[in-house]
Amino acid sequence: MQVKVVIGTITFMLTMMIMGFAALREPARLEKFSHAFEGRSIESGARIYAGNCATCHGVSGKGEECYDTGGNQIGCRGLPLNYAPLLCGDNSDRTARMNAMNWASTKDAFIESVVAAGRAGTAMPVWSAQFGGPMREDEIKNTVAFILNWESDDLCSEPVVTFDWPATAQGLVDEFPDGDAANGEALFVSYGCSGCHGVPDGSIPAAVGPDLSNIAVDGATRVDGYSAAMYVYESILDPNAFIAEECPTGPCLGPPSAMLANFGERMAENPQDMADILAYLLGE
Amino acid sequence: MTTFVDQVREMGLKQAAIAKADEAVERITAGMNISDVRGALRGDEPRRPNPRLRPHADGFWLHIRPSFYHTEITHIYPTFRLGWLSTFMFVWETITGIILMIFYTPSPFIAYNNMWNILANVPLGQLMRNMHRLGAEVMVLAVALHMLRTFITGSYKKPRQFTWATGMILLVLTLLLSFSGYLLPWDQLAYWALTVFLSGAEAAPAPAVVNENVLLILQGAPSLGAGGLLRWYLFHVLLMPLLLAVFFFVHYYKVVLHGFSLPPGREEIGEDTAKRVPRNERTYFIPDILTSELMWSALATLFLVAGALWFWDAPLEHHADPIVTPLHVVAPWYLSWSQGWLKLADKTIVVGFIPLLMIAFIVMPYFEVGKSRRYADRRVGLSVAFLFMAVMLVSNWMGSPEFRVASSAEQEVSQEILPQEGPSILLGVPYEYMSLGTYLPGEEIENNPHLTEALEEFQAAMFRHSCYLVGNPRLPREWDECTVQTLASGDKRYGNFFKDSVMPDPYAELQIEQMQPNLLRLTLHYEVTNPENPDELLVNTDWVSYRHADSNYEEECRFANKNC
Repeated sequence: MQVKVVIGTITFMLTMMIMGFAALREPARLEKFSHAFEGRSIESGARIYAGNCATCHGVSGKGEECYDTGGNQIGCRGLPLNYAPLLCGDNSDRTARMNAMNWASTKDAFIESVVAAGRAGTAMPVWSAQFGGPMREDEIKNTVAFILNWESDDLCSEPVVTFDWPATAQGLVDEFPDGDAANGEALFVSYGCSGCHGVPDGSIPAAVGPDLSNIAVDGATRVDGYSAAMYVYESILDPNAFIAEECPTGPCLGPPSAMLANFGERMAENPQDMADILAYLLGE
Repeated sequence: MTTFVDQVREMGLKQAAIAKADEAVERITAGMNISDVRGALRGDEPRRPNPRLRPHADGFWLHIRPSFYHTEITHIYPTFRLGWLSTFMFVWETITGIILMIFYTPSPFIAYNNMWNILANVPLGQLMRNMHRLGAEVMVLAVALHMLRTFITGSYKKPRQFTWATGMILLVLTLLLSFSGYLLPWDQLAYWALTVFLSGAEAAPAPAVVNENVLLILQGAPSLGAGGLLRWYLFHVLLMPLLLAVFFFVHYYKVVLHGFSLPPGREEIGEDTAKRVPRNERTYFIPDILTSELMWSALATLFLVAGALWFWDAPLEHHADPIVTPLHVVAPWYLSWSQGWLKLADKTIVVGFIPLLMIAFIVMPYFEVGKSRRYADRRVGLSVAFLFMAVMLVSNWMGSPEFRVASSAEQEVSQEILPQEGPSILLGVPYEYMSLGTYLPGEEIENNPHLTEALEEFQAAMFRHSCYLVGNPRLPREWDECTVQTLASGDKRYGNFFKDSVMPDPYAELQIEQMQPNLLRLTLHYEVTNPENPDELLVNTDWVSYRHADSNYEEECRFANKNC
């Protein structure tokens, strides 16, 4: 019996020491697991993104490199997400996009609300099961965690390239006289225009935005005193200036227009792209 | 009746305090004062009348325990302490379970997050969860071995038939208790294990209306969801433990009533003397059995704490997803035999057979009335028992992943080194060793033992699922020679030593790309050319997974029960 008492006592003390050891390393372990939870949430988000979001927002979230199920490149319908104005905030973490949308709450909540509830008049559907979409709450959260993970010092410190766009289409033509319609056709896809407007030759019908197949003629009729070139030029730079009436899904919504108002910024690095797209659309 | 103040006046403060303490101890122990307790601990002979019997007579906790055992059954053989261990595990599960309950809400919206909260925010939460899960497995094992032992020593025989019957019920309850806890984390493992179980319940050989209603009761709705989770939670924390406690007390009462059965060789055939223990063969509960039980409690606690801390980690897969069926759904090991049986016979037959088997076990002692408990006289019974065990082992093996329905060869390889769920050797490579690039299976990376090891494993997995026809210049490896089968459709099927459907002269690579800051995309890319037609690719697929710098798979890979 004495042996048993000794064994029992030693074992008990050993167990207490192990518990003490476990308790001592606990703060570090908890910290690791908190990060692991976030890391795995981002991994799950990456999986969801690749399966559901990349077709419209691009494989790397740049609003470029969108592919259909057959692997053919198509125009991206979605806003770039790996994108400083969406992710990079000022001192109080308010981003340009939040300000543009008059969003009062936080950045995370902004992205979550758009993913969850969609954006009317655009191709962005409702995703949350709460609002009738296909995704559970945790999937929405994982997706948001993944999108937010694109924020990096590199992204946010990239210098913003600006370009002082001429006031009129004629001004642009004066500066960039050689619009390459063939390149414009490629740019029309890579900038994502065809995602909403289809391809003007009719091979892909317009899905969300107005049909542009006859824009060289129709464009001149929309705004008094504007040529077709001026109308298209202004609409690309400022989609809210004039909102067309007929969209494929009914009357076009807006203002604000469903079309993104950031093409001026995106083309600033290479204004020749604008000349090429105009040449393509207007058949010059 | 003298008051304390009177006693102090009479004896002085010190003596009065001692007397009061003595009285308190005597009340708490229901009959033993300080010097009795001390004497018991020192192993002295008790005074007469023996005060060590009074806690059994007057105390609540010990009144169900016998005050002495037959010395013959206090050794490891014949009980192996398995009944005691089962009881200990039940108490253990109750305590750890109650602690986990504090941090758990049975709702599909939050249950999975609760699991991560237990892991990441509750001090010692991971240890508690691991101890509970490990305890569940040990309890199943202990109960099953206890039953086996009872059969082998013939302790189920008259007059203990009813004890055996309640024991069988306790075994079933233990399995159900363990299995009902499976659903609670609401991860893929939980959801699909229960889905398979419920599809079994639905296939029972009963009128459809019965099955439908049983299913409705079990999952609370036409499909498994919030209602089902709540019900299984209540089964797990309320109904099953309650039933188990009831049957436990009946079981133990019968054990004490008939006395612990002696080793088979101790008695004359047909005799049962367990109840009448001669004075010189008694081992008293206080202090010997109690000390022994405390020692075993300490040892079991040490085993469980150390096991849960260093060797055994409770799995937690992705959030339950009714739309995504994981590639390989396997039953927990203690139900693996049933999965094996499903490969032999129709579901309805198997599901109908299991309850019949249970009933057969329960009534067995009433039909098996051979008088002798001696091994030599029970050759047939013991042979049947060992045959049954062999059948169960083979069934378990048949239900194991070894014999699951295989998917395509490249998916099997991917599932081995980059599985959909859980860590793997490749995911366990520390993030800083995940150098960007494209790698071939078996490639050696300089100064990178972790990645080299993972690529070796890739090579080994490829070996099991590839064969050599004419060789592939892009991936020159010595696989097994292909065996070629021509199917009825005219297509050819290529096999190797292990499998009959593998990749002939395959090409495979691992791509590691930076997807985001701190996030890598791991792609396993496979290409197999049709040997009959060099322009046709039989396989041209990618298997994609992601790895975040903080995901901490290397921590998970520390545990022995993880596939790393």
